Amino acid sequence: MDRRLFLAGLASIAVPSAVAAAEVVRLRDLYNKDLSFSDLATTMEGELITVSGFMAPPLKAESRFFVLTTRPMAVCPFCESEAEWPNDILAVYTKRLLKVVPFNVPLLARGKLELGAVKDEETGFVSRVRIVDATYERG
Amino acid sequence: MHQFARTATAVAAATLALASTAALAQDIVQKDSAWYTDAQARIQEMMARQPNTNKAKNVILFIADGNGVGTNYATRLFEGQKMGKLGEEHVLSYESFPNLALVKTYNINAQTPDSAPTGGAMNTGVKQVFNTINLNENAIHEDCASENGNKLTTFSEMVSEAGKAVGIVSTARITHATPAAVYAKTANRNWEGEAPDGCVDIATQLIDAMKAGTVDLAMGGGARYFAPEDAGTMDGGKGSRPDGRDLIKEAQDAGFQYAYDTGSAERLNLDGTTPILALFEGSHMKYEHDRSDEDEPSLADMTKMAIEQLSKNEDGYYLEVEAGRIDHASHDGNLYRTVTDGVAFAEAVALADELTDDGDTLIIVTADHEHAIAFNGYCGRGSPITGLCYDVAKGQVKHSDEPLTGSDGKPYTVAGFLNGAGAVLTEQADGAYFGTRPVVTEEGATDPDYLQQALIPMSSETHSGEDVAVYAKGPWAHLFDGTIEQNYIFHVMNYAVSAE
Ligand SMILES: [Zn+2]
Repeated sequence: MDRRLFLAGLASIAVPSAVAAAEVVRLRDLYNKDLSFSDLATTMEGELITVSGFMAPPLKAESRFFVLTTRPMAVCPFCESEAEWPNDILAVYTKRLLKVVPFNVPLLARGKLELGAVKDEETGFVSRVRIVDATYERG
Repeated sequence: MHQFARTATAVAAATLALASTAALAQDIVQKDSAWYTDAQARIQEMMARQPNTNKAKNVILFIADGNGVGTNYATRLFEGQKMGKLGEEHVLSYESFPNLALVKTYNINAQTPDSAPTGGAMNTGVKQVFNTINLNENAIHEDCASENGNKLTTFSEMVSEAGKAVGIVSTARITHATPAAVYAKTANRNWEGEAPDGCVDIATQLIDAMKAGTVDLAMGGGARYFAPEDAGTMDGGKGSRPDGRDLIKEAQDAGFQYAYDTGSAERLNLDGTTPILALFEGSHMKYEHDRSDEDEPSLADMTKMAIEQLSKNEDGYYLEVEAGRIDHASHDGNLYRTVTDGVAFAEAVALADELTDDGDTLIIVTADHEHAIAFNGYCGRGSPITGLCYDVAKGQVKHSDEPLTGSDGKPYTVAGFLNGAGAVLTEQADGAYFGTRPVVTEEGATDPDYLQQALIPMSSETHSGEDVAVYAKGPWAHLFDGTIEQNYIFHVMNYAVSAE
């Protein structure tokens, strides 16, 4: 019992302070099962939110854009002849130039929530949900 | 099930008392234990067993992709625990089938197999080359010219020639390795929607097979490989065929029925007169955890439709049903989706068993290969299979609530993977790999999106060469016994449909 309390204490100390202050939204909470936007997403549109997830390997170097995924983007060379995007993803437009984080390191990303399809000019990537002016850190 | 076991026990105990009085002169104090009497009942059940030597009118081959003995163990416990049991005592639908063997899954040139040559071995009776489908040992992976003169005869060609209907159901793309093994011959399993000059892509091979009458029903995902590049498909996706062919339209022009979602599937005419092509997703169908009934059918739904359609053929049928995404979830290192798709697989088998007659239908349940999954100890009974390993309780039966910890003082989960995205070693800023095990809680580990901890960092967890099991019932199911080569499965199917 003591040990678990101790570990719980450690975990909360370890979480970066600025981001920890806000409530963390999970990516899957922004979508319903049929991939329409959840009530949570529509009520928070335009607001600053913090989302947990993983950074998919960026499409382009020197960019201010990455895709946040629910689970690490594993790519099976035998299963897939081309890259497959999961359905429940979030486009993140960052305030500063991207510093790549490995695909399987948990992240917390914070930015203003935008809904509706937009095509990224540089990559051609079409997103339905975005956070903009975003910052991120290891979660 | 348990009710049945108890009744059987009473009968068995009576029989046993008569049969073995001499051997049991000594009083056995544990003889009234349920463990003891259940096992005695099993003896009677085994002695009462008669081989079924009927000719098989129908053969259903169920393949859970990536569901080796270890993965299947995880699904058994998960389904049991979902039903409120401790889990270890649970029996999956097909685990009560009378016959079983262990299967060696390696390929001609690979210790660790992939789904293409393994599916091919089951459909042709010979082992094949890594990443190729239904070519002989002279095939060279990715070498189109090596297809010439090296193509094998498939079970679907043999039985359709004999008048049987042929069906394929998969939750993966219908052009993916396991379903393709029913109808395709290719030097590269990835030639799903395009192939080099002189070779034919897998989607085209399916439509050709349907036109030739060697396939009568195909249900799964993968619409993109049947539609021209950038053309919209009815499932809401986009085509990706560079040759611009619209194979869906070609299928419809040939008079075949087409379905693309639950609603259109419900409108299919299942009277057996018109072949069916159903492509419910652009790529793979959804994981069971992410699927909604309104959008696309379950594996059990598709199996039911297939049996209803194919059973109208008076000479019987061959149906291959694949749960294709058990494998994908394990590649992701996400055990939750592995076992939830595993449960959906067990439900599909149970339904097929219910809809068919053991007297004329051979049902085979197996996997093509295992994954790099592994299990920790020493967990107490009922430790949640996707969650933490809890200490054994003194005074029985369920585990104590104290999670066991490693020498690092942190709890660990029951299951883990040897490699994959869940690796505890992560890439650091300087490119080196380094790490310590993250703290894992029960809530975190049982979350549907959790990745079990793994050792070797890789973008995708790998298959392993470990054995899989084969379970069977119906005509000639008793030919499964011992440890077999995977290609032997074809020979049992072939013997069963040919028996006089
Ligand atoms: Zn695989």
